[in-house]
Amino acid sequence: MLQILFNSLLNGAIIAPPAIAFTLMFAILRFPNFAIGAYITVGAFAILYFNDMLGWPLVAATLAGMAVTAAIVWLTDAIVFRPMRHLPSVTMLVVSIALSLILENIVRLLFGGDVRGFDIPLMRPVKLPGLRFTWEQLNIVGIAALATLAMHGLLKYTKLGKAMRATADNFTLAEVRGIGTARVITATWLIGGALAGLSGLMAGLDLVIEPLLGWYLTIPVFAAAILGGIGSPMGAVLGAVCVGLAEELTAEFLAPTYKVGVGFVIIAVLLLFRPQGLFGQPEIKK
Amino acid sequence: MSAPALDAAPVLTVAEVYAGYGRGDIVKGVDLVVGAGEIVTVIGPNGAGKSTLIKTIAGVVRPRAGTISIGGRVVSGLRASQIARSGMAYVPQEANVFRTLTVLENLEMGAWVLPERVRERLDLVFAHFPVLRQRRGVAAGNLSGGQRQMVALGMALMVDPKVLLLDEPSAGLSPKLVGEMFEIIANVNRAGVAVLMIEQNAVRALEMSSRGYVLAAGQVRLSDAADRLLANAEVGELYLGARD
Repeated sequence: MLQILFNSLLNGAIIAPPAIAFTLMFAILRFPNFAIGAYITVGAFAILYFNDMLGWPLVAATLAGMAVTAAIVWLTDAIVFRPMRHLPSVTMLVVSIALSLILENIVRLLFGGDVRGFDIPLMRPVKLPGLRFTWEQLNIVGIAALATLAMHGLLKYTKLGKAMRATADNFTLAEVRGIGTARVITATWLIGGALAGLSGLMAGLDLVIEPLLGWYLTIPVFAAAILGGIGSPMGAVLGAVCVGLAEELTAEFLAPTYKVGVGFVIIAVLLLFRPQGLFGQPEIKK
Repeated sequence: MSAPALDAAPVLTVAEVYAGYGRGDIVKGVDLVVGAGEIVTVIGPNGAGKSTLIKTIAGVVRPRAGTISIGGRVVSGLRASQIARSGMAYVPQEANVFRTLTVLENLEMGAWVLPERVRERLDLVFAHFPVLRQRRGVAAGNLSGGQRQMVALGMALMVDPKVLLLDEPSAGLSPKLVGEMFEIIANVNRAGVAVLMIEQNAVRALEMSSRGYVLAAGQVRLSDAADRLLANAEVGELYLGARD
């Protein structure tokens, strides 16, 4: 029981930061960015580069990797999305799918398709009655919790965060009030990229690093964001934990291979019965 | 009150402005002036282009031709977010508050271009709308229609504007609140802020205005002192009698 709860939190911890990023990008840019999974892959490999190839300690490599990921994610906007800002969101979704294939294959070209891992000392797992975990897993949950708190603080208390919420709420009014929406959009990409980079660290610690790493996380991230009511960052975190729990229960009672399908089932059921998400409010039509 | 001539230098000048969406123009060569401290009302039938005109002045819709200047500085062609720094504040008719932000956060966003004067402006807005001070922690989307309209107007006042653009400020308000809203606009104006508004309560709006413009089919048909427009039989029959 305890183990199931811990594993659920662990699953949720890896999904939560990119789910926040995804939902923020959706709220401000008004399209579902499928490339979120590829951003995670980019993050994992960026950190791997600093850690394994340059030999930096993991913390420094993570910070550098997050910065690089943020820059690359911002570049994908500058090169790919910005010129298409006026297109309908379905078109943007398709473009983002194409982008994620391109990013994945650039990673494959640079790093090869082999399975890798970060260069960190092996540590003995901690065994308690009814619970077994590694220090990495404990760190993952802690880092995700910190990142969530930091995002909450940013959105609630800082000027930039309030401007991001205002822009997400009503883009035209934000323009009319003189809020520099272009800068808000830039900040959204950079923050989203940094969060994806962080998720790359966590996914790389818990799973193995390969060019398809993020691909497996894309659907759970979508599911978490939709579950939380798309556009709601803290909802996305709760959604991530729910998806994590659902995945874990599935693995417990069905064959683990079904775990991959959990996200799809959640999305399908939600879209049928509660499209505003579990925690979202229905959009008011006037 | 009846002098149509502009004593003071205009705060807002609209010259030969054309604008529209897609093919064809909705605003077809409009000339309009608002003097410092004046209240000016634009009336006209539905579809005359009033809303498009005000959106064009605010920069939400780009003008296709003509010039718009605020305090002598040409702003036509600038983005709405740049025009917001020019001393003009626009209050849209709909979706004019950030529904998910609190009242206080809405007002703070209003002061985005004037961050160093947030405190001072907040005090002034709360003086105009005492109820907003009590409700400052409430999400704007949870307010009543009247209070939401106060937030919208309060947000615009945060930038210490020289001229306010109001798109149907009384729309959707109960008759009692309509009176209050007009009183608030008059108060704001007395403090030296010029007002350009579109209003469906055309008679009441003209009664508090110094001048008015009659817009029809995207063009100015008539402009005169407000009391003369009110007394004009033809205007009364066409635009003031039958309230739509």
